[in-house]
Amino acid sequence: MIKAKGVCLKYPDGTPALNNINLSVEPGELVYVTGPSGSGKTSLLKLFMGVEYPTEGSLEILGQQIAKVHEKEIRQLRMKLGPVFQEFRLIKGRTVMENVMLGMRFLNASPSRLKEDAGVALTKVGLAHKALSLVENLSWGECQRVAIARAVARKPELILADEPTGNLDKDNALNILELLTSFKDNKTAVVITTHATHLIEGQKDCTLIRVDGGSISRERTGGA
Amino acid sequence: MKHIFCNTGYFFREVRTLFRMNWVSNILTLISTGLIFFLLAMVISGWWISDSVMESVRGEAEMSVYYDERLEDDGVMQLVERIKEIEGVQGAHVISADEAYDRMVDILGKDARVLEYFDDNPFGAFVEVRISLDKVQPIMEVLRRTEGVADIRDNREVLERLHQIAEILSVLGYLIIAAVGISTLVILSHIIRQGIYHNREQIHTLRLLGAPEAFIAFPFLMAGLLLTLLGGGVAAALAAYTLKFIYGQMAGPLPFIPLPPIGAVIQSMATLMLPLSAALGIAGSLFGLMSERRF
Ligand SMILES: Nc1ncnc2c1ncn2[C@@H]1O[C@H](COP(=O)(O)OP(=O)(O)OP(=O)(O)O)[C@@H](O)[C@H]1O
Ligand SMILES: [Mg+2]
Repeated sequence: MIKAKGVCLKYPDGTPALNNINLSVEPGELVYVTGPSGSGKTSLLKLFMGVEYPTEGSLEILGQQIAKVHEKEIRQLRMKLGPVFQEFRLIKGRTVMENVMLGMRFLNASPSRLKEDAGVALTKVGLAHKALSLVENLSWGECQRVAIARAVARKPELILADEPTGNLDKDNALNILELLTSFKDNKTAVVITTHATHLIEGQKDCTLIRVDGGSISRERTGGA
Repeated sequence: MKHIFCNTGYFFREVRTLFRMNWVSNILTLISTGLIFFLLAMVISGWWISDSVMESVRGEAEMSVYYDERLEDDGVMQLVERIKEIEGVQGAHVISADEAYDRMVDILGKDARVLEYFDDNPFGAFVEVRISLDKVQPIMEVLRRTEGVADIRDNREVLERLHQIAEILSVLGYLIIAAVGISTLVILSHIIRQGIYHNREQIHTLRLLGAPEAFIAFPFLMAGLLLTLLGGGVAAALAAYTLKFIYGQMAGPLPFIPLPPIGAVIQSMATLMLPLSAALGIAGSLFGLMSERRF
């Protein structure tokens, strides 16, 4: 699903965000990306979404080479991704339902299918009763759930969640992680970034990637 | 393309949001495009009307040939036959002094009473010659050399005046079409860019989610199209009213001008204005979208 070989990312202003990343993620894999603030976690996810391009090395996501020349194909690749952004990126002035549906409108589903899938996703994240609320009236944790619902309703092959536990107390954070990991199946891989290492201690059957100073180290925890 | 048809409801809601978000600018845009289109509609109608008047007057081109009063009836008949043989003459017949008098009574209508002040019939008999307009000059020359012809009057001056007016109107028409085209494009692309700017966060999010550019652009296209179509519709309605008013004003004092039927003028004006405003709307929106491709 993800194949990175010697990937470097240097921002236009010269900030070296990532350096010589080698990595591979398989279908059905659960990956936690940890590291201190500013270490490059979001940058890594931006590469995976094709928002940034590697300045060196080669990166392949779901078989698609990530490079400026493939801009058009990358737009299509994104339809197969389930991104949960650090800042949510929900559309203000719209209802919860409308926000979830917006992520699917251009995936060629029929209008009735759209509503049904959005409803199922909202039920899964426990927000079916808020379907008609405006997103600006929701709490932080509720927004997080809407963002997750929008991502998973698209039935993505790769879920990319950036700091989904930020600002949440431990119980709620653990709930969100549990929710996100529940969408992992033999076709779908889940990548979650978090700086809260204490939350993922003792997690079974997952890959831990530690980002620090732009480099990564990888560790595999055993199955249950 | 399927995602466009599946989401018509969504697109209409987006357009409504776009209008609401910036309603003052949108109303001003609507008014200004409406006024510009009104100008266009009036000039184009004027152009058509003058063209059609030209056409019908051109068909009615004629000359009045006054002959020597000493000519006997036989001589007059011979003259008419000779005139008929001149190239470019379509017909010729004698109008007697009485007929000339009756015609004037018809034209003057109520004012025909002034004729009562004359003791005798002030009009003379003449030969009415129907000609093709482009042959005026050679026909004149032949007639001048013809024996028995005393005086020739033609309506060339009036025709030339009309021709000039039609030319001016057509030049004005082209200028106005250019002005309308350019200003509509500018106004529209501006309002679309404003909408894009207000929505930049949403557009960015949609791009991150993988939405195709066409899906993102469609509500803006619709908004632009709706604005100009509405402007064009209002302009066409206003122009129709104005034309009716002008026709009403002309019918009284200038009954002999052969104006084309107003229904036909309004119909062709409207059938031109609506597609034209739609096309300008789409072009303006595309223009706006293109100039805001990346931000
Ligand atoms: N667009 C950008 N231009 C220049 N530098 C950037 C840009 N985005 C991020 N950076 C820099 O790259 C480094 C990595 O940033 P990144 O956002 O990936 O960190 P992070 O691990 O996600 O941090 P956090 O835990 O706070 O979210 C930081 O030093 C940041 O300042
Ligand atoms: Mg981050």
